[in-house]
Amino acid sequence: MFSRTIPRFARQIARAAPRYQTPIARPVARPSLFQPKQTAPSTYFQAIRCYASGGGLSQDEVQGRIMDLLKNFDKVQDTSKLNGESHFHNDLGLDSLDTVEVVMAIEEEFSIEIPDKEADAIHSVKQAVDYILAQPDGKTAL
Amino acid sequence: MTSANPALRHQVKRIYKELLYMGKDFPQGYDYFRTRLHKAFMSQQHIDDEEKIKKGIERAEFVRKEIEALYFLKKYRTLRHTYDKF
Repeated sequence: MFSRTIPRFARQIARAAPRYQTPIARPVARPSLFQPKQTAPSTYFQAIRCYASGGGLSQDEVQGRIMDLLKNFDKVQDTSKLNGESHFHNDLGLDSLDTVEVVMAIEEEFSIEIPDKEADAIHSVKQAVDYILAQPDGKTAL
Repeated sequence: MTSANPALRHQVKRIYKELLYMGKDFPQGYDYFRTRLHKAFMSQQHIDDEEKIKKGIERAEFVRKEIEALYFLKKYRTLRHTYDKF
């Protein structure tokens, strides 16, 4: 019985296989024929979605921009400690006045104005990212 | 710095920020201004008497006005220089 089921199973796989084939597995000439058809609708939809789609900022983008900004900040000497969780004072060795400067730079980078009270609460990269993402224009991580 | 009173600490930070904004157009460049300002503020770090901190904030206010006056003067001179060729 076992020996009979295996060939049947194998035939089923053989029949099912072409459906699951990825474009990479196909011969070289065929993808070029099929690709325009496949990609055209998606680009078409994207062009429409541009106007009202939920653009906003992703968390990675915000974090990347803040890290770049800190990398270029001349008082940050030890860039090896710079990561998404870095604390301005404890890890990067910035004093409270430098923190004010960093917050100002962040304001400029994202073209926003951070009120004094909120600005005082920002002491680390993570807090800054969270604050930016909490803004109406920012897109919270899904 | 001014750890005694959070309100004063706030004020110091605010005036620091205002001065930084003013310094963006400083004749010798922003970096020159920024390092000097940072040094000036840090030299007052040890002060913990509230009255003295208030004095310091007043002094910073005064400096801010001086810088403003400097900009106005610079603007006036530039305009004057462009209009009357003497």
